[in-house]
Amino acid sequence: MRLWLVAVGGAGLAALLVAACLRLPGFGGDRHPYGDRAVEAALSRHTANTVSSVTFDQRAFDTLGEMSILFAAVLGSVVLLRQTRDEHRARPEPAAVSRPVRRYALLVLPVALLTGLYVIAHGQVSPGGGFQGGVVAATALHLLYLGADYRALERLRPLAPYEAADALAASSYLVTGLAALLAGSAFLANTLLPYGTFNTLASAGTVPLLNAAIGMEVACAVVVLLAGFLDQAVEIVDEGEHDEHAEHDGGGKTGGNAADGGDHDDSGKRGK
Amino acid sequence: MHHLLPLLVAVPLLGAALLAATGRHLPRTVADGAACAVSAGSAALALLLLAHSSPPLTEWAGGWEPVAGHSVGILLTGDGPGLGMAALVCVLTLAALAYSRRSLDEPPHGHAGAFPALVLVFQAGMCGFAIAGDLFNAFVWFELMSVVAYALTGHRVEEARAVQGALAFAVVNSLGAYALLMGIALLYARTGELALARIGDALDAHGPPDALVLAGFVLVLTGLLVKAAAVPFQFWLPDAHAVAPTPVCMLLSGVMVELGVFGVWRVYDTVFSGPGGLPAADAERVLTVLGAATAVTGAVMCWHQRHIKRLLAYSTIAHTGLFLIGLGTLTPEGDDGVALYVVGHAGVKAALFACAGILLDRYGSVDEHVLHGRARPLRGVAVMVVAGALGLAGLPPFGTALGKSFAEEAAGGPFTVLYVLTSAVTAAAVLRVAARVFLGLGPTPREAGGEGAEDAYETTGSGEEPESGRRMARVPDTMTAVPALLLAGALAAGAVPGFGTAVARAVSGATTAGLVHTSVHWTPLGVGLGLLSSLLAVALAAVAVARPGRLAVPGRALPLRRLQSGHIGDYVAWLLVGTTVLGVLALPAVLSG
Repeated sequence: MRLWLVAVGGAGLAALLVAACLRLPGFGGDRHPYGDRAVEAALSRHTANTVSSVTFDQRAFDTLGEMSILFAAVLGSVVLLRQTRDEHRARPEPAAVSRPVRRYALLVLPVALLTGLYVIAHGQVSPGGGFQGGVVAATALHLLYLGADYRALERLRPLAPYEAADALAASSYLVTGLAALLAGSAFLANTLLPYGTFNTLASAGTVPLLNAAIGMEVACAVVVLLAGFLDQAVEIVDEGEHDEHAEHDGGGKTGGNAADGGDHDDSGKRGK
Repeated sequence: MHHLLPLLVAVPLLGAALLAATGRHLPRTVADGAACAVSAGSAALALLLLAHSSPPLTEWAGGWEPVAGHSVGILLTGDGPGLGMAALVCVLTLAALAYSRRSLDEPPHGHAGAFPALVLVFQAGMCGFAIAGDLFNAFVWFELMSVVAYALTGHRVEEARAVQGALAFAVVNSLGAYALLMGIALLYARTGELALARIGDALDAHGPPDALVLAGFVLVLTGLLVKAAAVPFQFWLPDAHAVAPTPVCMLLSGVMVELGVFGVWRVYDTVFSGPGGLPAADAERVLTVLGAATAVTGAVMCWHQRHIKRLLAYSTIAHTGLFLIGLGTLTPEGDDGVALYVVGHAGVKAALFACAGILLDRYGSVDEHVLHGRARPLRGVAVMVVAGALGLAGLPPFGTALGKSFAEEAAGGPFTVLYVLTSAVTAAAVLRVAARVFLGLGPTPREAGGEGAEDAYETTGSGEEPESGRRMARVPDTMTAVPALLLAGALAAGAVPGFGTAVARAVSGATTAGLVHTSVHWTPLGVGLGLLSSLLAVALAAVAVARPGRLAVPGRALPLRRLQSGHIGDYVAWLLVGTTVLGVLALPAVLSG
């Protein structure tokens, strides 16, 4: 029956989408009502990267929501991936790393970190910005896991400060927005700072500030998110075997235990 | 004044961020107190803005006022319905936070701030959605409230079913969000605009509706109706409500689902009601057909539950169906009635969930059969459950009754019968529970188990853990005060003279139809129908308790109950079918256009 439903529903949806796509404007047309306005607005605020102008100035309120989604995802996964009462932590064993891998990882780590910071800092000038640079910076730290072992990574990223920094970065985005409101214009209005010289680092008013807040938020969020999942896979172990939670029916579903979602067991634990 | 609109989002978000930053070092009392203060402050702000919402407030975020009629910014709409929903969100959040103070287990060490912070982000997402005047911005807040709701639903990760319920919720709602996003993309491709009113203008300028407008309408509505839990998108809701912590259920059922309905109203009214959108007859067909199916399904399933939280969840579905029918009339009276109905329903339903939470924390079960006669000492709670049931039935002078009487008069004909029956059945189910659990009436049900195929589709609700960590010896005062205040609010919504008219004025000031002042007051017919459905509810409950075999024939509803299979693949398949059904129902608009 499920297959019939999927077939009928999928066919209907596909027909709808095909019919709609045939009515889309042609590719390569010259009518871009929003694009034209956005570029003009970006130039008026001395922002060379129009995309940054859209995300951190013209539609900064959307970005506030997007940042909050990431923030909520981090908060939610910290709560959901917590160590429950029937789990304990196992210390991961160090494992041998072949020397070329170690050298390469330790060589690339500072380069990748610097690249991430560069991408964040130049968001108002060139392609990139807080979202992209934050992810690059956060993943750079995880080269330690490749080059050394899990405990080295844990020493470099004590989670509490990262969680706090994530929240503080989100607050600073909000505070920048509120400062504009207190200064007499609208929430998140780009009126606090001079617009500076076009195509330099000191341009675009508050765009670099919001950009930096997002960069810090994204970097910390990615670190904390990855840590939550890595902990589940590497360190946290079920106490005893699977718990029996069989009596839920709602129609005879078999719920997966929260803790044994991964395919890990004690014998499979390694330091990396 | 209009510059303060974004604060409805910013204040709870800032509160959440600061709580999350310092939560590790705060004792629980401070964290909970701070969260309550933040949500109380934003509730005050919402009410202040609501008082100034005529004429509607509009704010361009970032100060991007339109130049020559065009803006690159985001429009926030602070009109009566939007700010009314925001105020409802803030008040219910405050109630849920106050209730959770004693109802939830001590948080794990170092996580004292996490739960209240998540609730505040949830509040911010819902407020943002309520005041969004821009389709993409609405999508962003829609996603924010979804993400937080998944995490809150799965909060008790020790239990496998909590994870399962949250997963079903997450998968179905995320697919709904994708549909919404695709719809937005189609509309943007046609119009190059994102502000709701501008999309509507651009569609009208383009000419009569074609396949693209139809697809945009169907996809946007799919996303919103998944949130509103309309049939056949409703499967996630009972699974999520059965496992979510009680304060979260109060928010999900009390206001989040209703925001989906609100979104449907907002999008149809602002975007698709013009000549370039969907003709009224087609919109009416879509909303009333889905609404009727939702009401019937919800009522039938509600009657057949013994897991009290699932029972209340299905009752929410049934009432959502009634909201959709009311909106489907596309008349000012229908809109006014639904607005008032939503306010009353929020108070009543949140109070009933709070009472179910008391049972769970006190007796470690939410199963109607297991609890038979055990809750006799909880007299106050019994009174509240009965009052809540009568509120669901629409007994005057509850706000639900006034709203329902207006909506059913606007719908008229067979829909009036559906309104009376649906509210009577959902109320009767709650009354039946009250009679058995609090009074011990009727024969003691035989123990569950070993009944073969029928029981395989029954969720008993006996294997639950108290959310407070251990069974409470006595019920804390805050846990009884919160439902009592909520019920008082629902009662006041109907009993305070002029409240209904104020709601009507707020709603009609916002519609594109212009100012139509309807005065909402009790009519003899409305009072009569309210009394009728209350009497019907009492009679049904009495028969069900005295002769359990007569009305609860499980076999007859089994095909319907079997659909709630717990298999996420089934839910997704139904979502696809639902999208197709929406398309078919709205198709005549394009064929004739």
